[in-house]
Amino acid sequence: MTREELEKAILAVFRERFEIENPGLDENLREEHEFDSIDAIELLREIELLLGSELSRDEKKKAMEIRTINQILDYVMALEKGTVR
Amino acid sequence: MTGTDRSRRHSMAGPVRDVWITLLVWSYFTAGFVALFLPFYLLALILESNREKAFQRLNCSFYQGFFYLVRRLIPTCRWRIDPAIARVRGSVVVCNHVSYLDPILLISLFARHRTVVKNRLFAIPLFGRMLALSGYLPATADGRFGGLMIERIASMPGFLKNGGNLFIFPEGTRSRNRRIGRFSTGAFKIARNCKAPITVLYVQNTDRLFAPGKFSFNTREPNTVCLDVVDRIAPDDPRYDLPLDDLMEDVRTRLVSFKRP
Repeated sequence: MTREELEKAILAVFRERFEIENPGLDENLREEHEFDSIDAIELLREIELLLGSELSRDEKKKAMEIRTINQILDYVMALEKGTVR
Repeated sequence: MTGTDRSRRHSMAGPVRDVWITLLVWSYFTAGFVALFLPFYLLALILESNREKAFQRLNCSFYQGFFYLVRRLIPTCRWRIDPAIARVRGSVVVCNHVSYLDPILLISLFARHRTVVKNRLFAIPLFGRMLALSGYLPATADGRFGGLMIERIASMPGFLKNGGNLFIFPEGTRSRNRRIGRFSTGAFKIARNCKAPITVLYVQNTDRLFAPGKFSFNTREPNTVCLDVVDRIAPDDPRYDLPLDDLMEDVRTRLVSFKRP
């Protein structure tokens, strides 16, 4: 999946699951859209569906620090390459 | 003794009684816990396969004991607990919040319960461990709480499906003026993610019994603590699928306009 395709897919998840329309790619989601840790965990489920594989506990913990769409995209791209630490 | 002396002594007796009863009640929390409950917690820790369930039941029993003592020692306070609360199962329970007594009152009413606890409380030695073993959730997933939050949220659908209740004060903190504050979204998101009903409770007058910022219980003023079921929003209720802000506003409006029958 290219970064552009992934961006489309993630923005669709935000629109449909979290009622957040077109967030800026570098907006702080927590501050601007009240995107909290419960949403983050729900987003991880959606990412698992997108990737078709389960994330490990460490991979999920890493995602708790994410704040922006660009960071989400970096995270998922790294997951696809297997470079999330 | 003059009338003035008698009047002064009488006016002193009230606050002294407040402090005395408060000390008795709080000693239940320390000596009472160690003498009556700690052995059972240790047994549960060692022997129980489902520690979370065992710890929740013990917490419930401990706070039932606390409120039994409060009722006996403070007869000026009456209690009106809606009998429907005993039948609440598998629900996300939201309630207004006016006193430190509110969370422990709800713990005493639900044998199987989870709730959200401030992160700093998890850091208190032993007590924090007890909170974690009880299945409680940290308020945020920052830093070392990320793993705990992930585990708790992942297991929440099963917990609710098996009849447990998750109670949350959506205002996040106690109201100091009795007005219902702005809601956080967490409780409503969890309910919808788990497809669990939302039960709305309204608590009154726990703040008159134990006021925010005060050391002592108010043992003299006639008071009635009430806890009522205001609403229940099941997943098949049309309001359940409203945009999140509208759902929260609906619940908040019902709490604001609630009049006890």
